[in-house]
Amino acid sequence: MTERNVGERPTFFDDPAVDQLMAIIMAMSGELSVLYDRVDSLERLLDEKRVVGRDEVETYRPDEAVEAERKARRGEYIQRLFRIIREDGAHLVPHDHMTRYQALQDELAND
Amino acid sequence: MTAGQTPHAMLVEPDHDDYVRQCYVADLRLQMLNNFAAGMKDIYQDRVKPEFEKAHHRAPRDKREVHQIMMRDPYTRTWSSMMRAMQEMMWDAVLPGIERERTALAEMASAASSKYSTLKLDPAVEPPYYARAIDIHCMPGGYFGMVSEDDVTAGALYDRGVYVYQMGLAGGLADGIGRSVAEFIRRRYPDLNARAILDVGCTVGHNTGPFCDVFPAARVHAIDASKPLLRYGHARAESLKLPIHFEQMDARRMSYPDDSFDIVFSCILFHETSHSAHREILREIRRVLKPGGININMELPPNESLDPYDGFQIDWDAHYNNEPYYAANTSTDVKALMAEVGFGADEFFEWLIPDFYFAPRQDFEAAAQAEQHAYSETGRWGEIVHWYGYGARKS
Repeated sequence: MTERNVGERPTFFDDPAVDQLMAIIMAMSGELSVLYDRVDSLERLLDEKRVVGRDEVETYRPDEAVEAERKARRGEYIQRLFRIIREDGAHLVPHDHMTRYQALQDELAND
Repeated sequence: MTAGQTPHAMLVEPDHDDYVRQCYVADLRLQMLNNFAAGMKDIYQDRVKPEFEKAHHRAPRDKREVHQIMMRDPYTRTWSSMMRAMQEMMWDAVLPGIERERTALAEMASAASSKYSTLKLDPAVEPPYYARAIDIHCMPGGYFGMVSEDDVTAGALYDRGVYVYQMGLAGGLADGIGRSVAEFIRRRYPDLNARAILDVGCTVGHNTGPFCDVFPAARVHAIDASKPLLRYGHARAESLKLPIHFEQMDARRMSYPDDSFDIVFSCILFHETSHSAHREILREIRRVLKPGGININMELPPNESLDPYDGFQIDWDAHYNNEPYYAANTSTDVKALMAEVGFGADEFFEWLIPDFYFAPRQDFEAAAQAEQHAYSETGRWGEIVHWYGYGARKS
């Protein structure tokens, strides 16, 4: 995996949990949009090629193999969605207490 | 949006979901910078500034004071929280697809021919502290990250990331700045007859390419300290048939002889250095520039002279998007710095270059001929499409 070195991750609300929730909602909004576009691509292609009518999708139920694939994909989905909790918990710093980052700013400005 | 990136051998083609994920981030970014940021300015003018004036009997003094009072405002906090999360989302949307292709990219970079473009690496070049202390603009792994000796992930990530960040607005090769400055120089100095050109801090060569088209008689060199960026850039240039000569070099200590180049340029380099590096690189640029040669550095505009609110808005990234030298850079008196490294006051200039892709052609031509001095607008995508640059013609 690519090693990250983001330093202090600023938060902007009095409770950093709000910033975490914000990031999750933002990512979620992205994933919803991705999903919408994907379904849209599929349904249009299927309809265009007269393979599956849009009403057939409504009655579809997955078998076990399909369910396993979905499970794996959901795993990746959760990793992406909750990255901020997995990686950033230890270095969340209120935006007005970013002392290490400010020291770096001073250091680079005055070196 | 993102379908418009010009294909080349090294470009990682995103799959369906990565593609629409990147499109979403670009769309979101445009809204954040235009609509949502405009709301923040309204709040400043309608409420925050009047409240400050009532309490202190004066207007906010500078960008730092506006920063302090705005960061207490709930809308600004929400916007900031979203901006930071969005920057992280951008890389999250680009990185996984590149990581999947990591081995193939490394092999392709190693196998790249040198029919058009050349590459000279120097293992003695160390990553400068200012460029490795932190992941600049939150790019995972930064400019120097490598999981193996031949890894070029950093180059691929930067190539695609910059394109998404620009929302495609700087052209299919993400070369809007380089294109604008090259076309501008050609028009402004028809007598220049450039034979040798240098791009300082070239990354993957996005902005170097246009100089090959605009000055076909010149030999175009490009330097950077990062091996993965140069290896990727070389393979990219080879695929695009761009005759760029890449060399791994610390710009503070170039190995070129004095008076080597007719044009030495940099594109959005200096805000990612440090104050002493800024000075040292300019000093080196002057040294390698031929008498009569042009140096131009495309950068964020100095903003101490701007309205304090605009200064605050431009500097947001400096504080919360891992751009640790950016605020000091936008506060630097570049005219004084250029004088310090030996450029005369009469050699110094500042330009506002209209974006070559966006400006009506007659406006571009007029700007290239016009008397240039003041700057009043910023160079951010999605707002005003003008690029600020400062430089000198060495006498």
